[in-house]
Amino acid sequence: MEAGVVWNAEYKQERDKRSDLTMAVCECFSDNFRKRHLLSDVDARIKLLVVLSLLLMVLSYKGIFFPLLIAGGSFILCLSMRIPPRMILIRFAQPLFIAVVVLLLKFFFTGEEPLFSVGLYCIEITGYKEGLLEGLRITSRIIGGVSLVIVLGFATPFTEFVAALAWLRVPRQFVEIMLFAYRYLFVFLEDASTIYNAQKNRLGYAGIKKGLHSFGVLAGSLVLRGFEQSQKTSEAMIQRGYSGDMPLLRGKPLKMRELLAGALIVIIGGVIWLM
Amino acid sequence: MAIQGIRFKIQRPLITFSIFIIYSLLLTDTAHAMHISEGILPFRWALLWFVVAIPFVIYGMKRLKEISRIDISYKPLVGLMAAVVFVISLMPIPVPTAGTCSHPGGTAIPAILIGPSITVLITTVALLIQALFFAHGGLSTLGADVVSMGVIGAFVGLWVFKLLRRFKVSLTLSAFFAGILSDWAIYATTSLELAAGIRGDAPFWPLFTKILIAFIPTQLPLGIVEGAMTAGMVGLLLKRRADLLVKFGVIKPEEAGGAI
Repeated sequence: MEAGVVWNAEYKQERDKRSDLTMAVCECFSDNFRKRHLLSDVDARIKLLVVLSLLLMVLSYKGIFFPLLIAGGSFILCLSMRIPPRMILIRFAQPLFIAVVVLLLKFFFTGEEPLFSVGLYCIEITGYKEGLLEGLRITSRIIGGVSLVIVLGFATPFTEFVAALAWLRVPRQFVEIMLFAYRYLFVFLEDASTIYNAQKNRLGYAGIKKGLHSFGVLAGSLVLRGFEQSQKTSEAMIQRGYSGDMPLLRGKPLKMRELLAGALIVIIGGVIWLM
Repeated sequence: MAIQGIRFKIQRPLITFSIFIIYSLLLTDTAHAMHISEGILPFRWALLWFVVAIPFVIYGMKRLKEISRIDISYKPLVGLMAAVVFVISLMPIPVPTAGTCSHPGGTAIPAILIGPSITVLITTVALLIQALFFAHGGLSTLGADVVSMGVIGAFVGLWVFKLLRRFKVSLTLSAFFAGILSDWAIYATTSLELAAGIRGDAPFWPLFTKILIAFIPTQLPLGIVEGAMTAGMVGLLLKRRADLLVKFGVIKPEEAGGAI
């Protein structure tokens, strides 16, 4: 993943300063990717609404064609945004693991009509046709749904996403908590990394019992830092005029061109969904 | 013993056990605190879990509004706790039985410290960020994940903790069991949500049992790790900042002894 062409300039400088754990998390936020791409100028609200509409179609589709089509389209979009394939695979890892478990559970445990039967030592395994079809349907739904959310995540900076939520009338308290959490996420990751390395260097993770104790101390230290930092943050904010509500990004009027393009994508999706 | 499709001959338990271990090693890559992935639940089930979760989230926001009206620093505190829970849930823990790493849920500790209603809110924020930027969980399954990890995880954690404290069990041991049972309750609820969502025309209970068994290699030891972590956190707070435990009503001032 040589990222000269992928990551933006500020991020490349940050990479040298921060720990691996922090960087691994940083790499999941689109703010650190190349800023100019196909969807970078599109309003986050349009992206969110289009993704939610297509997601509804994927979830309610009865076959496997539509979700896989959406997955293919999303993958092409990600590549056109120059997202490293490794990053796409990392995001797919957990959903794919669950998809495989669900597929196997359905294939081997649900259905009437046997497709095959194999004797393996003490176990006789039988796969069922109905289970396989149902499992494939669920797996395709997972792949389609996850691809849509991955595109949204890669194409939308966090702050724009939060502003889109505020525009959608998501309560202010929720939006503010999201902003606080995002702001301090990287600070605590750095702290966690420092504490973890210090513990590891002192053999804090040699053996299960010691490891569990060290992990408890690490988590406790983070909670303590959370409390202490929250007091400092509150004081600093109050000194700067904080009265209990944080200012949020104001949504600009929606551009008609983007609105129409979004509607067109949803209509095309809807037509394919109905076919 | 015949279970539809697979017949176990229990007179050869060693081979069965070996296959089980191989299955665990092959199938469990990096397990996360049980999130239901995007797309697993059909639309009507996804909607149902949203309907169940939303009142809890609204109540959490109402509580936050009420408290932050009195204490202006409460919102930053909750936001930072959300960041802490998020970071804890990203920390990899080795799970020896599965031969992999796993991640804790981390909902028991905020439930004990700042209450379950605010914990539901914190968990919802953390799950939304994870769904969008890490593909752990999903937007359509957010309701189901909030119910299992936020609502069930937080309330079970707190109730177990309070029950044990009522019977004069020590602070760290109560926290240990709160962490374990909170994690296992999350695991059982997620299995229930999964089984109900994917069963199709098949009967519910056999599938539920199979899902429970499928995740035993990671979730049972993870619960114990979560218990140890919660106990470690509470123990450290008692040692270093007992005043915080008193402030949040976890212990009485006299229990803090000379620590304050």
